[in-house]
Amino acid sequence: MMKRERLARLLVLGIFVALPLALLGYQYGLRPLTAPHRVIDIVAAAPEAGGFQPDSIQVQTGETVTLRFSAPDVTHGIAIGPGLGIDIGSVEPGQVREITLTFDHAGTFTFYCNTWCSRDHWRMRGVLSVYDTDGSLPAPSRDPVIDQLVAEGVDIDAAHSGQTNHTEAVALVPSPERGAVLLPNLTVPHEVGNSQRRRTHTLAEAAALLQAANPTASEQDVIDAAAALWLPSPAPPADTARLYQQNCAACHGETGSGQSLSTITTASEPAAFADFSYMLHMRSDVLYAKIRRGGMGTDMPNFGTLFMPDETWALVDYLWGLTLAAE
Amino acid sequence: MAADTRVDVLRRLPLLARLLKSRAFQPALMLLTLFVFTLAILTGWFGTPAGSRNFGIVFVWIVWWALLIVILVPFFGRLWCMICPIPAPGEWLQRRGIIRRAPGKLRSLHRRWDRRLKNMWLQNFGFLTIATFSAIILTRPNISAWVLFGFIVLAIVLSLIFDNRVFCRYVCPVGGFIGLYAMMAPIELRARDCAACKAHRTKDCVTGSAAGYGCPWMVYPGNLQRNTYCGLCMECLKTCPKDNITIRVRPVGADLLVMKEHRLDEAYKAFIMLACALLYSVVLLGPWGWLKDAANMESLPAWAAYAAAFWGINLLVLPGMFGGVTIIARFAAKQTAPLRQLFIDYAYALVPLGLAAWIAFSLGFVFANGSYALSVISDPFGWGWNLFGTAELSWTPILPGAVNLLQMGVLTGGLLFGINVIHRVAAHHSPGRALHATLPFAGLLTTLTLVFLWLYLG
Repeated sequence: MMKRERLARLLVLGIFVALPLALLGYQYGLRPLTAPHRVIDIVAAAPEAGGFQPDSIQVQTGETVTLRFSAPDVTHGIAIGPGLGIDIGSVEPGQVREITLTFDHAGTFTFYCNTWCSRDHWRMRGVLSVYDTDGSLPAPSRDPVIDQLVAEGVDIDAAHSGQTNHTEAVALVPSPERGAVLLPNLTVPHEVGNSQRRRTHTLAEAAALLQAANPTASEQDVIDAAAALWLPSPAPPADTARLYQQNCAACHGETGSGQSLSTITTASEPAAFADFSYMLHMRSDVLYAKIRRGGMGTDMPNFGTLFMPDETWALVDYLWGLTLAAE
Repeated sequence: MAADTRVDVLRRLPLLARLLKSRAFQPALMLLTLFVFTLAILTGWFGTPAGSRNFGIVFVWIVWWALLIVILVPFFGRLWCMICPIPAPGEWLQRRGIIRRAPGKLRSLHRRWDRRLKNMWLQNFGFLTIATFSAIILTRPNISAWVLFGFIVLAIVLSLIFDNRVFCRYVCPVGGFIGLYAMMAPIELRARDCAACKAHRTKDCVTGSAAGYGCPWMVYPGNLQRNTYCGLCMECLKTCPKDNITIRVRPVGADLLVMKEHRLDEAYKAFIMLACALLYSVVLLGPWGWLKDAANMESLPAWAAYAAAFWGINLLVLPGMFGGVTIIARFAAKQTAPLRQLFIDYAYALVPLGLAAWIAFSLGFVFANGSYALSVISDPFGWGWNLFGTAELSWTPILPGAVNLLQMGVLTGGLLFGINVIHRVAAHHSPGRALHATLPFAGLLTTLTLVFLWLYLG
């Protein structure tokens, strides 16, 4: 009997002392110690509950680290950018998703949630600083497109929704397909045909130039031809649609209608890219700048720390696709 | 119920008798449940706050609850109390041993439990208190763990002050309803020959002997007629020198008609359990988001209103309705027994319906959420472990088409059984006019059952 009693007491001791020590010791002591490289546990909570914890990580070039993301509350989607192409997908509440990375160059990156998770979803971001071996961190580079806009005196945040002299054009429904058929028979001014110039001018301006070069063409023909020129060719890569749906659709709507579940929570009504009257007087480089820098006072966050410039241009093209496809 | 219809299990299964008489048997099971219980507390404290991925929430409030209310209580009565880990540390401290029979008295301050508290009222209010916060406790691992930890600390403290299992008998909110519904179980622990117990001078089952302790549940097995307060610890089986204690298979719900032991605190336990099953079904399974928000304490005033309504329905509305029907039945059947006595006696008919309602309610979420058990067993803390390769299994409802049928069957069974109890109680009080008393109650029970069915199937 005493032998059994001693065994039972040992078991009780094991349950109350050894079990917690073993479990917690392994998770918080042994596991990190025996890992072949640094493991960083990151809690991905909704911004109202603290967001990423920690929200700032420092690593060195050449260092291999494992980032382990866990979600305590709702489903989050974790991606890291810009230019890394890392999207580790959904992290369900109570699950852990991890990724092991080795950085070959220094830079400042952003880990962020790309699944609408709460009212302040867009605030859910963290900074991943990759230091060079000499301890330096490259300074963020300036964006020449935004610099050019500033130099031109363009107010990126100015209101611009179809409030110009071209209101009559708004009533027209552009058909890029019809325009593509008409274009060979129209005189297309050099500046209108220049794809680089199209980024710095509005579709309304192009329509005006086309009209001047083709005085006998009807207004509808001109708008259709301008729309054909504005329709991105080739179409943006398939990844761009995913980027839009993950990062933009929560506010701007899946089809660019400007209507979504979160519309009521934003400081100002999200832009409706499917609305031709809005886009008619919009410059692509302004759209680019808004995406990268964010919209002051509008709840439009900056995505310049998430996307590369070419990804941003692809998104601008995608927006034009929404505009012209919608019509 | 004639005793000769009951089957003496231990006579037929001597190996089981030997096992149950072993001093190591109960502690071995308690150690196992204590391990799971400790893990549940640890996962609650240190694991993910996401309840569906936390062992503490999934194993306590889905697996354990389903095991308890769907299998253990209906079929084995208080079997859970035999292996419950909560009183174990306190009892072992009191006994100065886990398996051995330590000589001498229990180690405690030997204070006497207040006579006014020797009933189920504390358990009733304890259960209502826990139930009022249940939307929080059942879903938030950290809070759930603190509640479980609080239970174990309270059980230890009480065992240091009072002899025996005062916590289990008079305080444990779970023990209260297990005791009530154990009356339905088809098994019972009883003396084979009550006369032999009466004649036995030393009453070892109460005082203890070298073979075991006196009944920790403070029950005298010699005149035990109901399962309500017997925790199936098997000490009396060990201590009885006449081998006069056994376990029997008996008709379901046999204890409900032991009229002389009917009490108001137990009747209220029946009201509270039935009302809670109804309110849980409304709040947790119903489509009313605002009600869920109120129960989840989204705002204090809304929760206060919810809590007031919760207590009011439990303590006033349902008992009030039942009292009204009792008056009608008493008048219709020309019964002469005091109204209070009739109110109490008839309330026992709510036991089968209440148990059926709890089973039906539990089936609703156990079949829907049971698959979480497979993932948390591999990753109990939500730390990204995958111990058994099942951590990534996705949520899969089990037999979604069968749940409603099962709920309907169980509720109908509970209703019919309840009406049968009413009829038998009515026959006891007014043999010639039992039907007159039965009909009003049958109407009330049927209405309540229809409300449940509407909630589950509607």
